[in-house]
Amino acid sequence: MPDLRPVIEIRARFWRIVMMASILFLFIGLYFFQILHSDRYVKLAWDNRLRLVRIPSSRGEIFDRNGSPLAVNVTTFDILGYPLDLERDGMIERLSLVLSKHGFPIDPENLSATVKRQYWAPYRVVRVITNLTLPQMADLVADPNFPSQCFPMAVWRRTYPAGSLVSNVIGYAGEISESELRQKPEGDYVGGDRIGKGGIEGSYEDLLRGRVGEEAIEVDARGRRIRSLDYRAPVRGKNIRLTLDLGAQRLAADLLRGFRGAVVALDAYTGAVLVLCTSPSYDNNPLSWGVSAREWSVLTDDPTHPMMDRAISGVYPPGSTFKALVALAALQENEVTGATSYYCSGEYQLGTRTFKCWKRGGHGTVRLVSALQDSCDVYFYQVGLKLGINRLIEWGRRFGVGARTGFDIPGEAEGNIAGIEWKKERFKESWYRGDTVNYSIGQGFLLMTPLQIARMYAAFANGGLLVTPYLFGEGRNPPVHIAHSPENMNLVRKGLLDVVRQGTGWRAGTYGVTVAGKTGTSQNAHGNDHALFAGYAPAERPRYVAVAVVEAGEHGSSVASPIVGQVLSYLIARDTRDTAVP
Amino acid sequence: MDDRKSVFFEELGSIDWLCLVPALCLFCIGIVTVYSAGGGVAGRGAFFAVRQILWGLIAACVFVSFHVIGYRWFLNFAYPIYAGLLGLLFIVLVVGLTVKGSQSWLYLGPARLQPSEIGKIALALFLAKHLCRYPPVTVTALISGALLAGMSGLLVLLQPDMGSSLVYALMIFVGLIISGAPKRFLAGICAAVLASLPVGWHFLKEYQKMRILVFVDPSVDPLGAGYNVIQSRIAVGSGGLWGKGFMQGLQSKLRFLPEPHTDFAFSVFSEEFGFLGTALLLLLFSLLFWRIVDVGLRCKDARAKVLVVVLSSWIWFQMTEGIGMSMGVLPVTGLPLPFISYGGSSLVAISAALGLVTSVYRTTRKNYE
Repeated sequence: MPDLRPVIEIRARFWRIVMMASILFLFIGLYFFQILHSDRYVKLAWDNRLRLVRIPSSRGEIFDRNGSPLAVNVTTFDILGYPLDLERDGMIERLSLVLSKHGFPIDPENLSATVKRQYWAPYRVVRVITNLTLPQMADLVADPNFPSQCFPMAVWRRTYPAGSLVSNVIGYAGEISESELRQKPEGDYVGGDRIGKGGIEGSYEDLLRGRVGEEAIEVDARGRRIRSLDYRAPVRGKNIRLTLDLGAQRLAADLLRGFRGAVVALDAYTGAVLVLCTSPSYDNNPLSWGVSAREWSVLTDDPTHPMMDRAISGVYPPGSTFKALVALAALQENEVTGATSYYCSGEYQLGTRTFKCWKRGGHGTVRLVSALQDSCDVYFYQVGLKLGINRLIEWGRRFGVGARTGFDIPGEAEGNIAGIEWKKERFKESWYRGDTVNYSIGQGFLLMTPLQIARMYAAFANGGLLVTPYLFGEGRNPPVHIAHSPENMNLVRKGLLDVVRQGTGWRAGTYGVTVAGKTGTSQNAHGNDHALFAGYAPAERPRYVAVAVVEAGEHGSSVASPIVGQVLSYLIARDTRDTAVP
Repeated sequence: MDDRKSVFFEELGSIDWLCLVPALCLFCIGIVTVYSAGGGVAGRGAFFAVRQILWGLIAACVFVSFHVIGYRWFLNFAYPIYAGLLGLLFIVLVVGLTVKGSQSWLYLGPARLQPSEIGKIALALFLAKHLCRYPPVTVTALISGALLAGMSGLLVLLQPDMGSSLVYALMIFVGLIISGAPKRFLAGICAAVLASLPVGWHFLKEYQKMRILVFVDPSVDPLGAGYNVIQSRIAVGSGGLWGKGFMQGLQSKLRFLPEPHTDFAFSVFSEEFGFLGTALLLLLFSLLFWRIVDVGLRCKDARAKVLVVVLSSWIWFQMTEGIGMSMGVLPVTGLPLPFISYGGSSLVAISAALGLVTSVYRTTRKNYE
């Protein structure tokens, strides 16, 4: 093998020269840029003659399923300026004076804080004052004292025509907060930008927002525009049409008026949400225009929690509405048949404890269908014990209890269907048979959101499909099949139909459509019992599911069932009306 | 016990301080830079600085281990190490996690590893061993050597990490030059690369094409891809002779610079410390490179010569690219600036390289062996 070393050494020396030469080039380059800096842009920035303007894109609008507007844009005017100009001596004071004279009292400290909050670079535009109408803007700009370095720009602002009716669904779009800004990837948003918060505005922010435009301009020494260096046009956001039916939503809100509670209605087969109503509610219009800290705290400190969407984040014991699930589970597990009978004397003795039926005198001999119809507790105590807590929980989970539904707006609660281990961890106590007894009538540690209850009843209505509720984007999550036999399902559905025909929920059936469903009364540690009703219609060929929860409404039969009956009747009447029109 | 201890200290005494001191100075500059780039204590600067110092401690351990074990041991296992690298890169390609659209991270417990960084060591070892065993003086030896070495570069390119694959390509090319490939072969390679450039253009991603176009003329898209280049150039340019002073840089503080603690670390440094600072930085780098090649010239082992030169080419390329990119005279690639940019994998890999270099230096001192 020839000795490579001589040639290696020659070439290594050569390589060293190459490296040193390149460093020399870099040195010269740095000298050029740092000492002579003659680059055009460097010069512009150096001479303070480069300006950047952000041009907001028009936000996509939101409509209900019939095209009624839920969130639209109106044009207003902002007064803009560059920190570079504003931070000159006396400018803030002068501007503050002019603004006060025209009815916008803002002291210099506040004005400086506003500029500072949006500060990104001396030559990027900031919003000095926002939300002016055309006459206000014209009046202000016409003032001879108005600084020529500031200028007006037409921008959109959000208004919500339906206001508090759908504020829980829509959320609102407002100025981005410090913490939100920090969470976003660098450069996507800057201070002063608007961003969707909560609801549809939040979930579909990327779709609604579009793309912000930007313009780089060269100005002269007095800040006047000379020419545009670069322009990137803003791109309008996409419009969104929801599955929500504003008419039905309004009806539900009217029925709930004066109560605290929620109403949910779904398409039984697709999970499309037609009604998502919560009461009390709040008006989202002021929030999108900006509210003061005090106005904000009035909203958040309200003891009735108007900003909480009870339909998806309120959790309630499902009460007797849960019995339909217990019945189906017991049938599926072959623990009972339609013919299995129990005797209800009005109470059930378990060891030393006595569990009462809601009907003191007792129901006598009951079978599955009649137990559902009369909501007999004693029947379900015994069926639940026979089934056992583990199978009960497993069936609950199969119907989506204790898990978020995957709904497309944020804020969903999980509810609770935790069992033996959970209790041991939480209360350091073992599981008693009495706990199982409580679960079998939907009480105890069981907690569900109205949306989860609606989803559970959709599965009864459609014959065993677990749907994913959604407001936008059909077919995003296809329904999941959960095992069942049609005979068992029909037996439960017969029971639910009899509830309305001749049982506890008869009031739901008085609005012209055949409803099947179940009443519920759930214990409330803080006051009167909550009233629930979950049902679907038409009973023969179900299309819609609706759930009403009325906090402290006492008995489900009297308060909640008429609400569900009327909402379902409205939805079905609307369908026939639509098909009648050619 | 005592005896072993003294041997250990003797090993430490045999570290090449002329090589290490510039590196340590550069590391300190890096800490200052990432601290400032992250916005100091108020921002995430302190977090970056502490993390970087912790990585520095790990890097120091790696450096000492490589120095003590010595390059010969590594060269003995050059082939298996290189095979391991190919395997690792393949795994990363298949299961790697996506960071900014490229799969280059591998999670090993709490540590996040960038195999393409560590792989540069494996590639250098492979080149040193293989090119001295089969000198690329015949067409067959040259092509087979280049193809074997090129496999790692190809895997990195597929990640896709164009910046790192350029480093791999340069290391291979320098390896061929140093190990005595005839000039006409080298000219042939250059011609082939030039000829294939138009074909390669089609394989580039849109953003990569934009980076190159913008490099040619930043005003093609001053608000988009060109924005970084212009802003970085403004940062560098506004540093002037003296700089704006520590923590006084405006361009980086005001979020003008994208990723000021990694890609554009040099821009932050040059804005705050001016031409004097950058000249010092260049001086430290040139001392380091001079010394690395010097170690190669002094030693008697041909493989060690090839090894240190190939290692120097890697650090040199990233330095040139990092600084040139900040000035806007080279396209943006996203490669870290050695010692300065925030990032553990790069620091550890470079420490390993320096450990190998000083272990070569050690053999030149032991004349009595």
